Amino acid sequence: MAAGRYDAIVIGGGHNGLVAAAYLARAGKKVLVLERRHLVGGAAVTEEVYPGFKYSVCSYVVSLLRPEIIRELDLSAHGLDLLPLESTVTPLPNGDYLARWADHDQTRRELYRHSPRDAEAYDEFGKLMYHLAFAVKPILSMVPPDPASLSPGDLRSLLKLTNHFRGLGDEKLYSLIKLMTMSSADYLDEWFETEALKATMSASGVIGTFLGPRSPGTAYVLLHHYMGEIDGAFRAWGFAKGGTGSVSEAIASAARGFGAEIRTEASVARVIIENGRAAGVAMESGDEIRANVVVSGIDPRRTFLGLIEPDELPSEFVRAIRRFRIRGSSGKVNLALDALPNLACLPGTGPHLRGAVSISPSIEYLERAYDDAKYGSFSRHPYMDIVIPSMIDPDMAPSGKHVMSIFVQYAPYELNGGWNDARHEEFGDAVIDTLSEYMPNLKDIILHRQVLTPWDMERDFGLTEGNIFHGELSLHQLFFMRPAAPWADYHTPIRDFYQCGSGTHPGGGISGASGRLAALTMLEDM
Amino acid sequence: MSRPYDAIIVGAGHNGLTTAARLAKAGLRVLALERRDTVGGALVTKEIHPGFKVDAACHQIGALHPDVVGDLDQALGVTPDIVRCDPVVFAPLIDGRHLLLWRDPATTAKAIATLSKSDAENWGSFVELITKAAGLLETAYERTPPDLLSVDASDLWSLVRLGGRARRLGKREMMEVARILTMTVAELLDEWFESDLLKGTLGTTGVTGMFQGPMAAGTAYMLLHNHVGTENGTVRSADRVRGGVGVLSHAFRDLARSCGVEIRTNAPVTRIAIKNGRATGVVLANGDEIEAERVISNADPRRTFLDLVDPLDLAPRFVRQVQNIKYRGACAKVNLALDTLPNFTSGDAAHLGGVVSISPSLDYLERAYDDAKYGEISREPYLEAIIPSLTDPSLAPAGKHVMSILVQYAPYHLKGDAWDDSRNSELADRAVDTLAQYAPNLEQIVLARHVLSPRDLETDFGLTEGNIYHGEMTLDQLFFMRPVPGWARYRTPIENLYLCGAGTHPGGGVTARPGYNAAREIVKDVKRS
Repeated sequence: MAAGRYDAIVIGGGHNGLVAAAYLARAGKKVLVLERRHLVGGAAVTEEVYPGFKYSVCSYVVSLLRPEIIRELDLSAHGLDLLPLESTVTPLPNGDYLARWADHDQTRRELYRHSPRDAEAYDEFGKLMYHLAFAVKPILSMVPPDPASLSPGDLRSLLKLTNHFRGLGDEKLYSLIKLMTMSSADYLDEWFETEALKATMSASGVIGTFLGPRSPGTAYVLLHHYMGEIDGAFRAWGFAKGGTGSVSEAIASAARGFGAEIRTEASVARVIIENGRAAGVAMESGDEIRANVVVSGIDPRRTFLGLIEPDELPSEFVRAIRRFRIRGSSGKVNLALDALPNLACLPGTGPHLRGAVSISPSIEYLERAYDDAKYGSFSRHPYMDIVIPSMIDPDMAPSGKHVMSIFVQYAPYELNGGWNDARHEEFGDAVIDTLSEYMPNLKDIILHRQVLTPWDMERDFGLTEGNIFHGELSLHQLFFMRPAAPWADYHTPIRDFYQCGSGTHPGGGISGASGRLAALTMLEDM
Repeated sequence: MSRPYDAIIVGAGHNGLTTAARLAKAGLRVLALERRDTVGGALVTKEIHPGFKVDAACHQIGALHPDVVGDLDQALGVTPDIVRCDPVVFAPLIDGRHLLLWRDPATTAKAIATLSKSDAENWGSFVELITKAAGLLETAYERTPPDLLSVDASDLWSLVRLGGRARRLGKREMMEVARILTMTVAELLDEWFESDLLKGTLGTTGVTGMFQGPMAAGTAYMLLHNHVGTENGTVRSADRVRGGVGVLSHAFRDLARSCGVEIRTNAPVTRIAIKNGRATGVVLANGDEIEAERVISNADPRRTFLDLVDPLDLAPRFVRQVQNIKYRGACAKVNLALDTLPNFTSGDAAHLGGVVSISPSLDYLERAYDDAKYGEISREPYLEAIIPSLTDPSLAPAGKHVMSILVQYAPYHLKGDAWDDSRNSELADRAVDTLAQYAPNLEQIVLARHVLSPRDLETDFGLTEGNIYHGEMTLDQLFFMRPVPGWARYRTPIENLYLCGAGTHPGGGVTARPGYNAAREIVKDVKRS
């Protein structure tokens, strides 16, 4: 194989690893990406698990992909095509529904139907969130400073940050602090009275976390919904034509275009460390590949406790990584359907099937779903976020047929008695049974069902404990504490070894921000 | 021209009396007005059955501000006798095992070793961390919260660093404290320990008085809050006052009087008089108006601004902020007169002098919270029981005892109906039934029961929604956010109207710290004017 030494090896061809590779290659570096599976993308993949039907197996919507990445890597030229998800419909137990549409006036009329007060407040709330999203945006594109450091760089960065926040003025600053510390239920209680509205908005705050809507620290994710809008690239939630895998494909194509080499079915066993510096990787096959620097796109636990000998790391750091919380809480069910599902509350086909269907009738419903998980059971009546990608992109399924993606919460990784085949199927049944209450024809039209528990996600996608964010997005695991202070700036205690996965700031979702910031940090060092 | 008083204090709780005494000491003419027939707010010792006296509401005190202790010493020549029990906590399990926490960390470690060797090994380091972290908090508690928008940002950080250095904390230790502040108490304890009983028993300090379970972010902070100023090395200390907390109320009263404060009881204030945006005095229920240069409210923020002040005198945004303060009382009191000592199936009577804690695990606490979350009284509540007559025989007839039980969770907002006698009696049953699982003779020895639901705490002591902290101690209602963002410096949007109660920084507990800090700010303003 290629004799020349690489400038950089990227471990893991997930979307962040690919973004990092693309940026490094773009700067003229000789880059090699090593991916364990037969395809790149990590949790952002499209696979034809059942003939003719394409599943976005894990990650299924795109909301936070950084516009600067789309621009700088020219992803549109590499086939990225984001289509908006038009609406969110929440079926209610009384047979009614609550919908929010792309059209502002239509949403307003709909909210007015449930509560005139909420219809008024919704606009006010949107305005505030819009401003706060602006306030937070620069943070997502910033390497976290180390507040305990006295280095001029860190101090400068810290000062910039504090001045930025104080520039917001008191009302927005305090709203932001409340948003960062409150539970989404409490925060929304200050604004709205319609249960289903509060619940559906809260649901976005608990996705991927092991928290309920009444848990403090869940409010700030409400901002995410507004983040996409301010970027102007697409609406709040988007769907990639060809499934989520096409996002990864586009980034991979961009990386290759810049000269990066990508190897699949290439599993890394460990990082080679010589004299305290990363010098390359040893493959499962026994091969060794050398490079000047190595960067890991896999989660912090696998990276530091799996690929590195513990005695190469300071014990304090190992302890910090061990206690880094990474509990998985969600599952996924993908369905191949013979026909369209029929919503009891909105029978027939209609624009609502081009958007999301959210099973989140009330805060109490979500909270009870969470209660099950707290004590080690999957939710008997889970929260579900459902999309039918074939309604937006007909190529996802044979003509007239459909695929349905069901994100399910809560499903704890640590299930009482452990996950096994029987529990796996029980979980799938709980999802279908609950959903059938809202979609009476569902059971009759299922051609194939794929069930992913947190345990499956760990085994198949390398997500430790099935955590979709590479580590919980709780307050003490954010920003300069992600994954552990003072190693939040993409460096690690080992020289020439970096981290670029979702377990670093800002983490979570298909944003690519970690990969980009890591690459820029590496390039600065080089 | 000049008004008869320099300051009127509305409400003579311990914080109000602290502020009153310190203002009088600074030369102000101070009048303290109390709605009830006695001062001290929730610090009250009551005869619940002939010959049986018990701390009806608040039954243990926090670490009083050292200067206030000094004031009490100086003025009275003798401070109230603080009962410091050892062991501080006895936490039984149904299976007969139990945990003891002692004042001395080494003794505690030995006791923990019966449950887990590794927990015993970690105990010393844990105590050290908690002590240091609480120390850093104390530095923040001594200060008035900075105004985020006017103070220089770097000043803010240097303040923290200064505090850290004063506490001999390294940079990394300070980061560790910062990390803990936003954690859940369950996460914190899971990092250190494996014993469910130990974690449950420590976890209670993160949730007492909170409408939160141990799996809620911010509860780790609450654990630290409860250790600010406490004796180094002692975790979950529960100090009591010999003779009952009422003795402490009297001491605060005597201190205030000795400084020259005029105290009137049975004098409920119905309105704070405001002219041209300035507080000018108060109006009493009997219609009397008393003028003063400034008014200081020891009532909680909601009562102060929504009941005592005309809303037209406040900006709508401020009113909304006050309306949004979360109260949601979570605990109740059940007090028992007992014919004899309860017989616990584990441990021995010598262990009962401190707190008896029914907290077998974090899950137990969380499940108790789950019930409350949906508006129910916990089926199996967390209990913090004290038998003060063991160390203080004057509280009950010879051979008999009183037991004071804090019961959590008892939500102020019950689903469906409101608190009434039957719900009170249901609450008492839950408490007694639960405790009887550990002390089987309990049901037979109860001579009388006295119940204070969150609703009663509101009615009797003016605690809005029965919240014992004058507002939840959640992250969004602390420091510069307490009671509302932008008004955390004891001043209010109305000139010459101040707050001095637990609804202000640094919040609840019998510490006298809010009152102490408020007095300092008011004196500053007086000197300026």
